Amino acid sequence: MKPPKKKFESFPFCLGLLKRQIRDHREKMESVLLPTLTKKEEIDRIINNTIDKVLVLRFGRTSDENCLLLDDILEKSARDVSKFATVALVDVDSDQVQVYVNYFDITLFPSTVFFFNAHHMKLDSGTADHTKWVGKFHEKQDFIDVVEVIFRGAMKGKMIVHCPLPPERIPKFQLLYKDV
Amino acid sequence: MGHAYGRMKKMSDMAAFSFRVEDMATLEDSFLADLDDLSDNEAELDESDGDDAKKDEEDIDMDMADLETLNYDDLDSVSKLQKSQRYLDIMQKVEEALGKESDGTEKGTVLEDDPEYKLIVDCNQLSVDIENEIAIVHNFIRDKYRLKFQELESLVNHPIDYARVVKKIGNETDLTLVDLEGLLPSAIIMVVSVTALTTKGSPLPEDVLHKTLEACDRALDLDSARKKVLDFVESKMGSIAPNLSAIVGSAVAAKLMGTAGGLSALAKMPACNVQVLGHKRKNLAGFSSATSQLRVGYLEQTEIFQSTPPALKSRAGRILAAKSTLAARVDATRGDPSGTNGKALREEIRKKIEKWQEPPPARQPKPLPVPDSEPKKRRGGRRLRKMKERYAVTDMRKLANRMAFGTPEESSLGDGLGEGYGMLGQAGSNRLRISSVPSKLKINPTIAKKLKERNYAGGATTSGLTSSLAFTPVQGIELCNPQQALGLGSGTQSTYFSESGTFSKLKKI
Repeated sequence: MKPPKKKFESFPFCLGLLKRQIRDHREKMESVLLPTLTKKEEIDRIINNTIDKVLVLRFGRTSDENCLLLDDILEKSARDVSKFATVALVDVDSDQVQVYVNYFDITLFPSTVFFFNAHHMKLDSGTADHTKWVGKFHEKQDFIDVVEVIFRGAMKGKMIVHCPLPPERIPKFQLLYKDV
Repeated sequence: MGHAYGRMKKMSDMAAFSFRVEDMATLEDSFLADLDDLSDNEAELDESDGDDAKKDEEDIDMDMADLETLNYDDLDSVSKLQKSQRYLDIMQKVEEALGKESDGTEKGTVLEDDPEYKLIVDCNQLSVDIENEIAIVHNFIRDKYRLKFQELESLVNHPIDYARVVKKIGNETDLTLVDLEGLLPSAIIMVVSVTALTTKGSPLPEDVLHKTLEACDRALDLDSARKKVLDFVESKMGSIAPNLSAIVGSAVAAKLMGTAGGLSALAKMPACNVQVLGHKRKNLAGFSSATSQLRVGYLEQTEIFQSTPPALKSRAGRILAAKSTLAARVDATRGDPSGTNGKALREEIRKKIEKWQEPPPARQPKPLPVPDSEPKKRRGGRRLRKMKERYAVTDMRKLANRMAFGTPEESSLGDGLGEGYGMLGQAGSNRLRISSVPSKLKINPTIAKKLKERNYAGGATTSGLTSSLAFTPVQGIELCNPQQALGLGSGTQSTYFSESGTFSKLKKI
């Protein structure tokens, strides 16, 4: 007796493989987009609501090349530090945000300001301005290191922390005081 | 009696043995009957043992003669089923029922009372009996045809195929004149033709040939009858067991019911038994039995099983058996005449099999842990203890740290200056030096070298007559320094600040 004819039984298996490929590709494409803040209330809300996590606010505009590079690094590392840091972008061209721009004295873009439990954290990186980080990060790991140092310092109760990066990696800038 | 003995002997043949796996319930009776007969036979033999040896021999001779007549003579004495009344009755009923279309309205609440169901049950039993009969006839044909073509029985296992092939070949010696297309797969045809060239057999005498061909016809008749019976059962399966046939299909359901011996018997079986109903243990020629053969019987022929990928076949077999047992139980109690239960179970099986084939969810990269949230895991154990011993506080140091009350402690520079000695060397304590065992303290290698040097130098002053050669009283001057072998020879080679060192740079001015 001939064995009964089998249907093409590897087809469901191939289908499973294909499904897996599609799902993987889709997951790689989708990255959590960082929230962009344009209103003062939004900024207030996010500062007050981030509890026990470092809040990283990037002030900049999307047209700037440096800003885009910085944003790229922020996006890539946002997930990795998500357990102890939140990252948000502030668009500096909006009107309501100018209050903050003036308060923090942000003249060069992009600038990054760090908060912990609604308290402004200072970072001594060897530059003149300790209140913010100006410019882009050289690597993703640099950013993660800085955030970790800020977190540790904040958990210990410090207001200012020392930057762990070597001076080559820290972007230099000239601080002009009243156009002098 | 002798006839029963002959039947038992045939039953023990390999082909017939497979049937024991298939049906357990229905053949029990015939087996028991045979066993009873056999025991009678044995009892007789025992008696004759006590009496006369000669009588013994006669009995055995008679048995052998019976066997011979059985084996080699009459087909009808071997295969009685076709002439039996029961067979004819049931076949007639089946013909009738196949002819007319039965109405499905008259169904009693109890399945067993339905006359159609009784017919189905009879048909099931009959199909099993026909199978056995075919096996017996197959043995008969084989025994006869062995003289002609012995190897054929091992090449063509299936009894019906064997019968067909024998019928086709007949008494022919040259197999090129015989066309076996369509009866066997072409590979087997080739093997058969090649073996026929080298077979030891000789053409059969006319009467034997005639008997063999008659037996072949009988086997084929039985096979067609069995097919008819199974077709009938299959056609009625939709009304008898709708849920079961919804899952496994009516053909397989009919076979399952047949081998189990009825729907209620099938319902009483545990699912693991249902899984292996109809499992054939055949080793095909040339195929190794070391490869894993799934434990599935008739369920292998279901559509669901055929369409699952090979990796999941064993799990699919198990779930099929489980759900079809449930469906059979529903059918046995006539719980759901419409078959919706069966369809739901089938859907469930399909979903489960699809879920198994789903790829596992992709692993997302984990976010980094919060700094300092996980306390460092301190490890213990022997290794750590040994490491700690090297930096441990020694007994000497402990004593030096302790101070006696009321007595001023001695110090290295006297008068309270320098390091205090504490309890070390006090009257209360016994010894100045505590440990005589080699200290496990870890010493800096450069300091260790210096200590060795110092020991070697033997004191504060080194005489200017020291040399790297060793003067021993026994052997005289040794040109090589034995202490160098111990690793202490480097005492002479020294660092810049060594006490026993020489000038480091000697330059001729």
